[in-house]
Amino acid sequence: MLNCKQVASLASDYLDNNSTTKLNWKIRMHLMMCSHCRRFYRQLKVTNKVARSALSEPSNDNIDELLQRIKESAKK
Amino acid sequence: MQFKDESALIKALIQGSDAAFAQLIRQHQSTMVSLARSIAGDTFADDIVQEAWVSVYSNIAKFEGRSSLKTWLFRIVSNIATTRLRKESRKTSLDQLDGETPGSYLDSANFREDGHWKNPVATWRTESPDELLAEQQLKECIKKTLNRLPETQRTVFLLKEIEQVAFEEICELLNISAANVRVLLHRARLQLMQMISRYQETGSC
Ligand SMILES: [Zn+2]
Repeated sequence: MLNCKQVASLASDYLDNNSTTKLNWKIRMHLMMCSHCRRFYRQLKVTNKVARSALSEPSNDNIDELLQRIKESAKK
Repeated sequence: MQFKDESALIKALIQGSDAAFAQLIRQHQSTMVSLARSIAGDTFADDIVQEAWVSVYSNIAKFEGRSSLKTWLFRIVSNIATTRLRKESRKTSLDQLDGETPGSYLDSANFREDGHWKNPVATWRTESPDELLAEQQLKECIKKTLNRLPETQRTVFLLKEIEQVAFEEICELLNISAANVRVLLHRARLQLMQMISRYQETGSC
């Protein structure tokens, strides 16, 4: 049996499908029984999703200036 | 975005289109800077990335498509940064991989002796991604938190979640083990999660 601390440490591996089948199963069993860890895992998933979209908006700063510098250096 | 698929973008790049090049920069510049910093430190990162772009600009016609374009970009950055690192013989630390960060979710103080929660995570006012993303201030907080992460944590997060680079490739780019990549990614997520939790409680980050 895994305890909560182990599940909390392994939560990202579980999310990314990076744990072995056996470990996966143990984590799933724990999540079924433990509402605290379920909440922890849910929040981790939401965090990842929200951060991913918030950070996917590419920035616009100084692109043109940088492009000019690159082109000038490339000519040399 | 003007060029939707990669082959159209590559074709435009080879023809020397400024718009195509600007799009490439816009998409990958932050990850490239972060990657360069993780390997060679702050001082050289901007130089390294500029050198990488010049190399991309001059060599795009030779790009053979054996990897994806972004993987090619990141490898160029990683190579230049690694060479520079050797030249300057500096060492970067791996953001204290050992031990647990006090105050983080994984802090032993949050668990009882048998490993069960002593201080379980607080409930959120909303767990809906759409509702959370509707808050401009939270989005700013996410950017701020990402920028404050230790260099390699940020790079791993950007490569995995924003650029969708495979784990094995991330290991090679940063020259660290898969186990370390996973730990760094988990820590980055936990920092972000902790900030969102604080934001839900206090309305600021
Ligand atoms: Zn639990």
